[in-house]
Amino acid sequence: MFDRSIVAETEGESSTGRVGDWFRHEYGRLVAMLCYRFGPQHLEDIEDAVMQALARQLAGSSSQNSSETLLPDDLSRWLYRVACNGFLDTARARKRHAEILEQQTVAWLPGMTEGMADLDHIVHQDPDPNFENELENGQLYMLFACCDARVPELSQLMLALNILCGFEVKDISQRLFLTTANVYKRLGRAKALLREVRFSPAALSTESYGKRLPQVLRILYLMFTEGHLSIRSEYSVRKDFCVDALQLTGMLCRHPVGKLPECFALMSLMCFQFARLDARNDADGGLLLLEEQDRRRWNRALIQQGMKWLADSASGEHFSRYHAEASIAAEHALAPSYEATRWDRIVKSYELLEASQPSAVHRLNRALALAEAEGPDKALILLNDLQPPGWLQASYMWSAVRADLLRRTGAREEAKRAGQAAMDLAPTDAIRQALARRLQVNR
Amino acid sequence: MSAQEFLCTMIRTEGHECVQGSEASPAQMEEMFAKFNQWKETFEANLVDIGGRLGEGKRITPDGVLDGPFTEVKEILGGFMIISADSIEEAVAITQQCPPVAASGTRVDVRPIHRG
Repeated sequence: MFDRSIVAETEGESSTGRVGDWFRHEYGRLVAMLCYRFGPQHLEDIEDAVMQALARQLAGSSSQNSSETLLPDDLSRWLYRVACNGFLDTARARKRHAEILEQQTVAWLPGMTEGMADLDHIVHQDPDPNFENELENGQLYMLFACCDARVPELSQLMLALNILCGFEVKDISQRLFLTTANVYKRLGRAKALLREVRFSPAALSTESYGKRLPQVLRILYLMFTEGHLSIRSEYSVRKDFCVDALQLTGMLCRHPVGKLPECFALMSLMCFQFARLDARNDADGGLLLLEEQDRRRWNRALIQQGMKWLADSASGEHFSRYHAEASIAAEHALAPSYEATRWDRIVKSYELLEASQPSAVHRLNRALALAEAEGPDKALILLNDLQPPGWLQASYMWSAVRADLLRRTGAREEAKRAGQAAMDLAPTDAIRQALARRLQVNR
Repeated sequence: MSAQEFLCTMIRTEGHECVQGSEASPAQMEEMFAKFNQWKETFEANLVDIGGRLGEGKRITPDGVLDGPFTEVKEILGGFMIISADSIEEAVAITQQCPPVAASGTRVDVRPIHRG
């Protein structure tokens, strides 16, 4: 497990941000690559070895060691060798040397043949001459390995956050709003299952990857949503998760296994949403309604990227939920103002989304869009059709939307009741304040 | 750490120039969008009205991450199909003939949509 305190100690709190990010990403890449080469059954030893290599690098740089002058790529290679040797030393000490040898003959290592039984030979042979390539393959492998059907979905997300992104338990528990004990427990169970390898590179094929792809997309989407979601934490946005999700999804889209329309659509969606993220917060960290946001703060270059991905995603026989969500995000991203938004098109996209993935939440969102496109009366009719599940009725969202629509149709008493319910159920102050503004403004 | 700088290095895309400085005009963006929308329209034409009651979905977890559960409509590698057939056997047969499904070797779940 990556120990952030090492970074804080030697680099000082002020630079932990940038350096911390580099270390956790490097940790993720190295662990992934070593698991790719030697197998996730050695996860624990590999994690320790990588940690030690990183610690050595830190110690070295603070005493002006030669490694400090290495370029980033060379530094990664250097760290890889140190970690690899450290891992093999441990393995020898545990007398698992022979076990690893045996595995190598089963072509665990991509490109190896049965004759290569000499462990040292394997180790000292250069990885793929394109080291960056190998790193990417390793990360992709780990991403797919984390999406193990035996592991509960939330735990899959935790695995990805911990191993791939290098987030420590404390960070994960804070951002997912869980206790550290819960996270430790879930991670422990998930890693135990991961060590019983069911997904090896030897079995790698577009087909085996393809089977897991829907779940991989789901986890990436979850990761991004958690960063984007404002409900659960005191901070409106947890950008790190969004950025990592973007990075991993981009890597996936560049790789043969991920060159698919739905992957491009997800990438497009993330670009649009991230481009608009900064504008959601006001100077005090509160939430701004869409109509209140300063659109000049939207990242136009990233919106453009999103549009390119979206264009690329427009192929094939299937219109996925990611396509639907991306098209909605695109409409918002292109609209010069709230009033000029093409709500009719958004409604159509929500219809397609609902068709692809029926959900009360989608219906709710569609109702809001419909209210903009055709008036609040039609939207209320749409909602009356819906029998909200218990969990939705207990959520502020249901009451808030109804309060808004009722207010706009002039049903003041009902609106007031629903509005009060929404405020009572609002999970954070930021949301409560934004709601108060929206529900009381006279239109 | 300025957001702009960070983002440019991250979004490296093959086949896309990472345009830092030459920005597409609104017209160009609309053009790209138009391509997508034309493709999207073909699906709108086939939309089947789902007027039936939504079932209780599968909750992710009680201390879960998401807004809420979604009814289990399995996606075909992210996609979906709504077809009409007289029986589930016929629906399965139709599905198996669909080129993307047959080629990719993925599993497809066929589920009836309940109305009323």
